[in-house]
Amino acid sequence: MRQLLALVLLLQAFHGGLAHATERYLEVLVTQPYLEMHSGPGRGYPVVYVVGRDELVTVLYSRTDWYKVRAPRGQEGWVRREDLARTTLASGEPAPIPPYPDFSSHRWEAGAGYGVYNRQNLVTAYGDFGITNSIDVEFVVQQALGTLDNRYITSIGLRHTFVPEWKWFSPTAGIGTAFQYIEDKAPPAPLQKSNQMAYVSLGARGFITRRFMWRADWRHYVVFNDQNVNEELEEWKIGLAVFF
Amino acid sequence: MENRLSSVLLAAALLSGCGWFHRGEKAPPQVVAEEPPGEPSVIEPQVNRREVKTPKIKAKDFEIGGYFGALSIQDFGVNPLYGVRAAYHVSEDIFLEGYLARSKAGTTSLEDVFPDITVVSESGRRFTYYDLDVGYNVLPGEIFLGRGRAFNSALYVTVGLGDVKFADKDQFALNFGVGERLLITDWLAMHLDVRNHVFETDLTGRTKNVDNIEATLGLTAFY
Repeated sequence: MRQLLALVLLLQAFHGGLAHATERYLEVLVTQPYLEMHSGPGRGYPVVYVVGRDELVTVLYSRTDWYKVRAPRGQEGWVRREDLARTTLASGEPAPIPPYPDFSSHRWEAGAGYGVYNRQNLVTAYGDFGITNSIDVEFVVQQALGTLDNRYITSIGLRHTFVPEWKWFSPTAGIGTAFQYIEDKAPPAPLQKSNQMAYVSLGARGFITRRFMWRADWRHYVVFNDQNVNEELEEWKIGLAVFF
Repeated sequence: MENRLSSVLLAAALLSGCGWFHRGEKAPPQVVAEEPPGEPSVIEPQVNRREVKTPKIKAKDFEIGGYFGALSIQDFGVNPLYGVRAAYHVSEDIFLEGYLARSKAGTTSLEDVFPDITVVSESGRRFTYYDLDVGYNVLPGEIFLGRGRAFNSALYVTVGLGDVKFADKDQFALNFGVGERLLITDWLAMHLDVRNHVFETDLTGRTKNVDNIEATLGLTAFY
């Protein structure tokens, strides 16, 4: 009985999915003399169909800078972003093709990279949210892999970009708090397995292309522990990021 | 009597309700068209403007899937491997990809010859890795199957870093590889990959870099 119920629910969900699949798509009007449709989402793919002026095309979905469209007679193909942006809605308004996010005022960012943490190799990944154009909250997860131990470090902090308008190179500075967990590999065992930390950072970022950017960061950590003197660590890293 | 009273009250309530509704209703805006004298008046249509919502375009830049194949663990033979992968396509050329996979090492030649010797414990034979890669579509193109079928494809190279856990130890590993993506449909892709995971180890006595080459077949979906 329970299985039957599960099946019914599954079918219902499937049906729901199907109903969802018949959602409405955006339709745009070709206003240029023609609109070229390529066989694939890339600059090298040949043009397989051409839609004439004043014809409506259906925009199915996008992949990177290409849009899959359906011509009035059913042919499907890929159209470049720049070409689709020149079409209009039936009402005459320009087609709502989202432009590239503006680098100097982007909101979200995610990236990964390589670094050195306390003379250990470091794998780092981070997410970043811009509160304003110049102040970001960054959340970092990293793993340092050394010969004596492995460390897992998470941190949350604020970062200030001094001149967000500078595209290719813009210095940054930040502060934050972090937590490290030490996984022992070879003796001697660490005195403490986990520590609270605080850091200051200096770095830079720059635009590469479209939605790509690079980031470099140097951090100085103060490790709070049970001893009389706090330990101090250094870290640097470089990474690639995508912004939204 | 009571019945009649209640029906009267009800009627009164209904009437007052109607009155209330009428008060709530906004008077239709009076359109005063300035007509030149003598011309017939144009009828202004009293149609409410429909709110048109333009449908959003779905972005299908993510690719997620699994793969399996063979991993040659240096000194430990060739062993089956299976894993999951997820990618984000930033542009038509560049993508970022993450991998997570697991395999299990066989025995070394030394262990085969001398069965009493164990180089790695049983739990240590588990080989797991994660990688964060950046990939570049070097040779995008089409693959033809017969006269009437063409599949979009791309030959790509990847490079990245990650962690290999082997012999109960996590090691920092670099990886680089080359792969072929064949799109069966626009949302379903088949992958053929060859990648090498390089890390430093002292398992066999002296510290050296080991190459662990994998050849895999994968299936991914774009969404």
